[in-house]
Amino acid sequence: MPSDRLVVIGAGPAGLEAARLAAELGSPVTLIEKKDVAGGMPIHADYAALTHHFRPASEAMGEMVDAVAGNSLIDIRTGTEVASVTGELGNFSVDLTSNGLSETIDAGAIILATGFKHFDPGRETQQYQYWELPDVITIADAEKMLKSGNFVTPSTGKAPERVAFVQCVGSRDRQIGNEYCSKVCCGISSKQAIEIREMVPDARVFIFYIDMRMYGYWENEIYWPAQEQHKVNYIKGIITEILPKGGRLIVRGEDTTMGRPMEVAMDMVILAVGMEPSAGTSAMSGVLNLPTNKYGFIETAHDVLDTVTTTVPGVFAVGAATGPADLDDSISSAGAAAAKAVALLRAAAVSV
Amino acid sequence: MSTTAPPAAFTAFPGATISPNTYVDVAYEDKLALWEEVKADDRFPDYLYGCYECGICVASCPSARFYDFSPRKIAQAAAREDIELIYEQMNDDVWNCSQCFSCNRCPRQNSPGGLITLLREVAVRNGLGTAKEALEGYGRVVYKIMTTGTQISPDMLQPDAFPDWGPDVEKTSDNLDVWRRALPPETLHTTEMSWVVSEETLIELYLIWLHSDVMDMIAEADEGLHMIILDVMEETLEDAGYEI
Repeated sequence: MPSDRLVVIGAGPAGLEAARLAAELGSPVTLIEKKDVAGGMPIHADYAALTHHFRPASEAMGEMVDAVAGNSLIDIRTGTEVASVTGELGNFSVDLTSNGLSETIDAGAIILATGFKHFDPGRETQQYQYWELPDVITIADAEKMLKSGNFVTPSTGKAPERVAFVQCVGSRDRQIGNEYCSKVCCGISSKQAIEIREMVPDARVFIFYIDMRMYGYWENEIYWPAQEQHKVNYIKGIITEILPKGGRLIVRGEDTTMGRPMEVAMDMVILAVGMEPSAGTSAMSGVLNLPTNKYGFIETAHDVLDTVTTTVPGVFAVGAATGPADLDDSISSAGAAAAKAVALLRAAAVSV
Repeated sequence: MSTTAPPAAFTAFPGATISPNTYVDVAYEDKLALWEEVKADDRFPDYLYGCYECGICVASCPSARFYDFSPRKIAQAAAREDIELIYEQMNDDVWNCSQCFSCNRCPRQNSPGGLITLLREVAVRNGLGTAKEALEGYGRVVYKIMTTGTQISPDMLQPDAFPDWGPDVEKTSDNLDVWRRALPPETLHTTEMSWVVSEETLIELYLIWLHSDVMDMIAEADEGLHMIILDVMEETLEDAGYEI
């Protein structure tokens, strides 16, 4: 007898949505989360506001968690890891470990929603001295500060007068090996620039970019307001190095459209780091025997008609486990996978 | 590291240029032929992928800070195969590069400095007047390196040889003997040589230069210099039992 249960691995935005929708469609779901709290990166990395309408991340994620927590069809297992998986579509055995205890559950289908990690600029781009200079931070670090409501220069504790964003750190770079665009960093940097201007009205904010990729409504919701209402300065040209001098940071780059090299003093530099596969995504690709692309993300059909089907029948991958994705993408792909998985479970039940 | 294959060979087509023709006396076909020679070089596919104009090469370029020079424009012109602009750069910009290769930090893994190496070699090989002009001041340096196998010696630090080395070169060269004797290691008290290259090494270098196209390039750039260097090389090689 095939199992009618769906196992969702990862309780971030994508995993929560996949579990919620599958349950709404009538399937029992086990939602597995390695961390002790559900909510994924927006919660664990202390995100401040989301790009659409600057809605607080904790509020939006709280809503998602509440939607699964109150559902009797959904069994949430936090603090739990997937040790191994055997079987096939309709009859998977999923071995779980939690606090040193093991348990095996049956599953008819599996959705992988293990997400991404932020690129660590200290790993490769040593020229930015992220590990050495306290006032060089990442957009992930900036989110924490913005959430706390206290945006200051880390070394002095004072409000910064000049803040620079550097785009495409760890993305679109053949030398680092991450050739892809991480999709969200342009929007996040611009959103943060607006938040900084609101929190520290006297601060001048600069964004040094290669291309501003403000998809769809980000253009009118974020990019134009950043320039028009919040006077954020966009300069096409990437920064080659950051030099500490006189208590400030000198950023060196080229103002490409003006056609001249530049050296500008800043109080803070925020590196717009991109996405890399999370440790969970890497581990689960091994456990589930799922091929990854050369960047380590889970390989899906990668087709306009199917963004979630993997090479293993009955296993779907969603959200940023399959490649850089914003929240809209993650939620959408989670919904698609949930519907496909439930359809597959029913078909398996009928065919027996 | 990336495993992306380099793009298929760039293919120029007449009319690809969007820059004005500033060398009207030179036929388009001749300019195109020079560019084709650059692209035919084995190193070319490793030096140019594509340019998204981020300017990191300019930001890291020492020459760009002092001259009207942009490694980004070199890469962009090459990627666009803008024949007129490339020809213009081959006659001017390429000689403002110090070949330090800081621009190799390019996130696309281009090497504007490497492109310039190729552009210079083609300019010299084809005897462009501007190449001869640019290299004129370096005849002594080339002579020194090629005949002794060692680099610039202190007595070459003369204001006329290095007009771009700033005002202090005059002060230094006036009292060179004194300056050198002030240096602690005795071996640095000389002004005529930097260090000695063994005869065996020198012979090897001579043979490399003869069997590669280095001597031909020098003949194109400076016939007189070629003659003098060849004399020195022949004498040493003949003494060592080689026939030229």
